[in-house]
Amino acid sequence: MNLNTQFVFQNKTKTLLFAGMALGVVCLGLTFFNDDQYHTRFWTNWLHNSVFFTGIAFMSMFFLSAQITAFAGWNSVVNRVWESMSQFMWVGLILMGVIVLGVWGHFHHLYHWNSPDLNVTDPTAPHYDRILAGKKGFLNPIWFTVGTIGFLAIWYFWAKNLRQASVDQDTMETSEFKYYRAQRKWAASFLPIGGFLSTVFLWQSVMSIDSHWYSTMFAWYSMVSMWLGAISMTVMLIIYLKSLGYLEYVTQNHLHDVGKFLFGISVFWTYLWFDQFMLIWYANNGEETIYFNERMTHYPVLFWGNLLLNFVTPFLILMRNDTKRKFGTMFFVALIVFFGHWWDYFYMIKPGARITAHEAIEMAEGKHGDSHSSVAPAEAKHEDQAPATEQPAEAKHDAAAHETPAADAHATEGHAAADHTAAAPEAGKDTVTAAEAPAETEKTAEAAAEPAAEESHDPHAAEGHHGEDESKAFKLGYTIPGLEEIGILIGFLSLFLFFFFNQLSKASLVPMKDPYLEESLHHDTGALIEGEDGGHAHH
Amino acid sequence: MAAENTKVLYGLYNDEEVLKGAVKAANASHLDIMDVYTPFPVHGLDPILGLKESRLHYLGFIYGATGALFGFLAMTWIFVSDWPTMYGGKPYWSVPAFIPITFEMTVLFAAWGMTITFYTICGMWPGVKAKTLDNRITDDKFCIAFDVTNASDSTVDQLKGFFQNTHAEEVNVKTI
Repeated sequence: MNLNTQFVFQNKTKTLLFAGMALGVVCLGLTFFNDDQYHTRFWTNWLHNSVFFTGIAFMSMFFLSAQITAFAGWNSVVNRVWESMSQFMWVGLILMGVIVLGVWGHFHHLYHWNSPDLNVTDPTAPHYDRILAGKKGFLNPIWFTVGTIGFLAIWYFWAKNLRQASVDQDTMETSEFKYYRAQRKWAASFLPIGGFLSTVFLWQSVMSIDSHWYSTMFAWYSMVSMWLGAISMTVMLIIYLKSLGYLEYVTQNHLHDVGKFLFGISVFWTYLWFDQFMLIWYANNGEETIYFNERMTHYPVLFWGNLLLNFVTPFLILMRNDTKRKFGTMFFVALIVFFGHWWDYFYMIKPGARITAHEAIEMAEGKHGDSHSSVAPAEAKHEDQAPATEQPAEAKHDAAAHETPAADAHATEGHAAADHTAAAPEAGKDTVTAAEAPAETEKTAEAAAEPAAEESHDPHAAEGHHGEDESKAFKLGYTIPGLEEIGILIGFLSLFLFFFFNQLSKASLVPMKDPYLEESLHHDTGALIEGEDGGHAHH
Repeated sequence: MAAENTKVLYGLYNDEEVLKGAVKAANASHLDIMDVYTPFPVHGLDPILGLKESRLHYLGFIYGATGALFGFLAMTWIFVSDWPTMYGGKPYWSVPAFIPITFEMTVLFAAWGMTITFYTICGMWPGVKAKTLDNRITDDKFCIAFDVTNASDSTVDQLKGFFQNTHAEEVNVKTI
């Protein structure tokens, strides 16, 4: 076999990828022009895909660095795939840059802490929020800019240098490992840089959507989600490249090892997902439980689908070791896991951004410009102004939601109560818990030891329930990904693949002078599969 | 393990790649290898020895599933009907709180079940005497063993020739 092969980026493939990108642009346009006045759907989709694909590029770099630092040898023949994937980070920098611009120009209302209508950090504003004002040191546009652009630039700098060192190593005539040693330095130093900064990156770009909510497990969980995106992408790319006749030296044994990572990290993801869920569920603090209550109540398909796609499927299919060695099965599972983690990011981003947008829209429409203490004024206000201002938003609401104007008024009241509490934190603490976590309260109400708590919570719980049903009824594209979302995914995927193939075609497909190449070429997992002989072709 | 008082002819090799080559050569000349001993698992050795895939993991799955079911049902019975206790206002049947223990029971049952099964199959119960060919095969030597209890002299010569041709470092006979 000839090791010095180069990937040729066919024009046919390019055309196909351009078509995919065009589809993505069309779908982005559709979601932009066919939405509320803040284009929430467009912006959540943009953030969702930008973070996800940037994350895949980042995790390819992180994974590769971990392999190099650990003196792993099996992976040398796959290294160029990861190197090329990681180069997408500068495109990710531009994609995330759009979000940064939006933060400054208030083009979007993704982040509650940055909403100009709510203006939560101003003590004189009606929506002054003591909690968010306290987080101002981190959740502000300047830090967001530094944290997003700066971190991505740092990562890309490392990724570019690691790649360069790897390509330079190919030019060495003798068995000298000057550039390989440089690679080791870049790789080892990237581990702490990538590890710590990715945590902050995920806090600010994803977790801060639910600005009040925080979880110490979140960065782990969302980073591992990216990791699985990267691993499943690697599996699919390896199989695709093999189907084109490239990477002939990547055998079932390499696939088996990537498959072990796909299986193991999927279980790790589930562990983190469950840890986060169970600790919050068990402690049952209203301010934490709200996150899951919101999702389990209004996004059940998203919530349970997440576990089905990302845990049940890979766990049951990849448990046997022969399934990890079959190209067809692995491609199928990788596709599901890839989609699953894209779905996972949808689940992290969409619900929180919708709440912020919903509040901002109500604010802009003057539904609750100042705080209300009873249902009556809210209702009056609502009826006064609704005909004039609510028309555009109404057009997109489900018909069912509008059959009950009373519920509408309750919704307003529910939100007003929640916002109101920030101004009067001492008195309002109970109200927040009750309004924000109604189902949880109801569920545990029978079991609650204190009857007093039951009394005070019940009326609010009922109110909150009506309201949320109205504003968050099932809606394609919001409660689960719709057709446009799939189109946008294809668009971003095409963009990613375009840059990937472009990078891949710039160097030999195998790092020819890598010190571990021989080990990698003769890699054998030692797995014994009956009726299989293809894996040992090199003997 | 072979039966009592087996006369074994074995050769020691220095390297696992040489060993693999020797096993292939033995296959080519249809020699009946009794067993191969290595200080660590040699990848790719099993297929050329013609070993069948172990069925131990099927049992492992069954043990694990039993443990999961047992743990979950036991907790359900204990906390719902036998001794209902209220923890932090949670329902009696708190599924998320049962998951960690269910997981632990799965691991416990699978691990113990597989270990006991494996030891039973291999006849490794307490007090059993180890039948070691050579202490160095747990250190740095790779060994191919032939059962020569009922072998004719010509067969033994043939086997010795085989060891010589495949660069065995040392050839010995031992009754175990």
